[in-house]
Amino acid sequence: MTLLPHILNGLTLGLLFALIALGFMLIVSVMEVINLAHGSLFALGAYFALWLIAPELAGFTEVADAYAGLPIALRYGLALVIAPLGVAAVGMGLEACLRRTYGKAPLYGLLLTFGAALVLEEVIRTVWGPTEQHLPLPDAINGATLFAGIIYSKYKLYAAGFALVAVFCVWLFLEKTPYGAIVKAGAHDSEMVRALGIDLGRLRMLVFGLGAALAGLAGIVMVPIWGLRPHVGIDIVIPAFLIIVLGGVGSFWGAVVASILVGLAVGLTGAYATEWSLISMYLLLILVLTFRARGLFGRKSILEN
Amino acid sequence: MALFEAVHIHKRFGQQVVLEDISLDFEEGRVSGIMGPNGAGKTTCFNVLTGRYKPDRGEIRFAGKRIDGLPPQRIARAGLARSFQLINLFDEFTALENIMLALPGVRARRRRLLGSAFGDKAATRRAHEILALVGLEGREREVAGNLSYGDRRATEIGVALAAEPRILFLDEPTSGLGSDGTARLARLIGDLRKLCTIVIIEHDMRFLLGLADRISVIQWGQVIAEGSPAELRRNKWVRRSDLGEIG
Amino acid sequence: MTTASLAVVAPRRAVQWITPPMLVLFAVMASLPLWITPVGLYDYLAVEVAIWMIYALGFNLLFGYGGLHSFGHGAYFGVGAYAFGLVQLGLAESLWLGLLAALVAGAVAGALVALFVSHRRGIYFALMTIAFGQVFWFVAIKWHGVTGGEDGLLNIPRPAADFGFISFDLANNRSFYLFVLAVLVLVVVLMWRLVNSPFGRVLQAIRQNELRARFVGYEVWRFKWAAFVGSALLAGLAGGLFAMAQESAYPDVMSVHQSGLIVMMTLVGGGLVSFWGPVIGVAVYFVARDLLGAFTETWLLWYGLMFVVIVMFRPEGLAGVFHDLRGQFAAATRHRGVSRSAAE
Repeated sequence: MTLLPHILNGLTLGLLFALIALGFMLIVSVMEVINLAHGSLFALGAYFALWLIAPELAGFTEVADAYAGLPIALRYGLALVIAPLGVAAVGMGLEACLRRTYGKAPLYGLLLTFGAALVLEEVIRTVWGPTEQHLPLPDAINGATLFAGIIYSKYKLYAAGFALVAVFCVWLFLEKTPYGAIVKAGAHDSEMVRALGIDLGRLRMLVFGLGAALAGLAGIVMVPIWGLRPHVGIDIVIPAFLIIVLGGVGSFWGAVVASILVGLAVGLTGAYATEWSLISMYLLLILVLTFRARGLFGRKSILEN
Repeated sequence: MALFEAVHIHKRFGQQVVLEDISLDFEEGRVSGIMGPNGAGKTTCFNVLTGRYKPDRGEIRFAGKRIDGLPPQRIARAGLARSFQLINLFDEFTALENIMLALPGVRARRRRLLGSAFGDKAATRRAHEILALVGLEGREREVAGNLSYGDRRATEIGVALAAEPRILFLDEPTSGLGSDGTARLARLIGDLRKLCTIVIIEHDMRFLLGLADRISVIQWGQVIAEGSPAELRRNKWVRRSDLGEIG
Repeated sequence: MTTASLAVVAPRRAVQWITPPMLVLFAVMASLPLWITPVGLYDYLAVEVAIWMIYALGFNLLFGYGGLHSFGHGAYFGVGAYAFGLVQLGLAESLWLGLLAALVAGAVAGALVALFVSHRRGIYFALMTIAFGQVFWFVAIKWHGVTGGEDGLLNIPRPAADFGFISFDLANNRSFYLFVLAVLVLVVVLMWRLVNSPFGRVLQAIRQNELRARFVGYEVWRFKWAAFVGSALLAGLAGGLFAMAQESAYPDVMSVHQSGLIVMMTLVGGGLVSFWGPVIGVAVYFVARDLLGAFTETWLLWYGLMFVVIVMFRPEGLAGVFHDLRGQFAAATRHRGVSRSAAE
């Protein structure tokens, strides 16, 4: 039964991918923009959290030390709430820049967010340094535990659980709240939304903020597994992009299913050929797109020009 | 045997059946019309006939050869040309260049990696002729994206003409034109009928009734009536359906 | 005043082999060895600039003229570099064989990938090119036996340019630069003919309106495929020259980062509206890297910001800006000329 840890890894990874993919998907659906900076927002979330848990305030060392004295669980919880808000703010700033590209070919949004990703990565590298960092974690979620007859990482269980709850909350938001309905409507028919008197500009800004916050949240939860370094942004955005296209642009369940599939692909190939596990998702994409032009659940979208 | 025949065409999109057992034929040298209200399936019919979509069932024959399922570029080179309702031009090229691209002579040299694309004098002359025919004299060197709507419409038809087709399909050519433009278009089609067989799809009935030799009426994905304009004016189905005033 | 556009061709007579802007470029590039060190730069920079100009010109065939946005082109550059290295290290120390292998390898890799992507456009096209780029990158890193893994191929010799009756030693960066410059001149001249040829025009038509191009009788897929292969061939050639320059070949050139660089350079320079866009873009990038880089370590951040600003406000890039300025200058002088004669 040595496959189990790999399957669990795969599912955990899949759920975490789902968290980041959903944020990406919201932005793609409502804004019709491929946000290549999504990964950088992911990274920013983790770095903000790092700063919130173990701040270095030049000149305020006493305050910083007092703060560091607080229990880690408290600081971690605080980071989990505040860091995504910070990322949301950055996201909304990015949206403001994107406004000039609305109505033009998707290429321009793609290029702009690509440039933004580069800029954000450089900012991170300048402020926090290029080396790998480590996010301090509360003991409760650190270490190993017994699960389904095997010894498994407590943190991974926590991460999977957290992601599951978060995905569920996103689903609740989209399906059960009036705001979610507006977001879904905005994805399909921006004209209609405008006709209903809803401020499309404000909607776009808030959706971008929400997507960014989800990315930041995913970042905080994922970096203890994935690693915390400036390059992690680009490392994650391509899988996110890939998952959205794989699942079909604009489809919630497509994103979730594709995330799990990709997670499992990576996890399982990790069992047989660890060297090739990350490449498996690209091969999967090439395979799917060659036979199903719009991904697994995709419909014709504005992205096809 | 007619120049162009469509036999028992079926087409569905997902669950929706859009065309149900449609059979049409167009005689050489005639102006044929396809009429019907919006949503009747005539646009889909048009797209199936010209090779944009593949029919689920049925055959399409052009000059005796089957063309259903062939890619559009093969059908085009067999001598079928079409214009589009939503104007589809090469907006960065001039009107002249748009026409030249469609000329068979220019098209034949498309694989050349050296040489000049638009340098051929004979081709340029021919393109000028076509532009004069559709009424764009003097505006040949205007970039297509900058032309007025009426001129773009004319260029749109010109591009289809340039291919020297045996059969020319015009997709709602009066779209967006005022009464002047429509009259100009009617005169143009009168000139063109000597050059090739023409099939027009329209929902401006007066235009079609005044111009076509034979009209097929499509409603709810089926051909509900066929005949000369005079016959159709008398047809009770046509009068009863919500095609509006047949004056 | 016309807006800048790749579709605009100067007088519609027979296309010239050599145009005035070409002569300016050749003059500047040929004189480079004379003034590059006094300005505070160095010979190797000239080599890099020339190589990337070749890469960018080929890239723009696909990006600007074809309207096909490849974000994974580093793969073909890398394949060319590795092919060159493998020939030198495993087959024979031959410049011509090595460069031939480089461009063939690039073309073949491009041809294979193009089979999968040529029926697409836009976002799907871009993503597939990224995916393939990543696949190549992974293979380069993992296939130790052939590619040397993460370290790559090292100590690739730089053979002499042997024409039989005469041979030029290229060990010195200055002489190597002149060789690369010769290749660049050839590429510029041939590329100019290509984009103005019937093939180039049809490619542009396809970019503007695939649907219409198809209905007018052109095999769209084949043209897109061919454009991809052509741009990959030149990327491979540039990669081979790069391997010669660095005397090594490594996976990093195939990364998304590096693939993104060529996109940025091309856009900033104005590849979307001008044949010379890529050339300008390459020059600007390397000048930024070395001049700005001398002042601050975060030069890439500033370059990235400039890129974002250009995408927001002037996606026609620098070439577009020059075109506008020239138009305004012409209009202003015309106006002055008129008012002067009116006053007389």
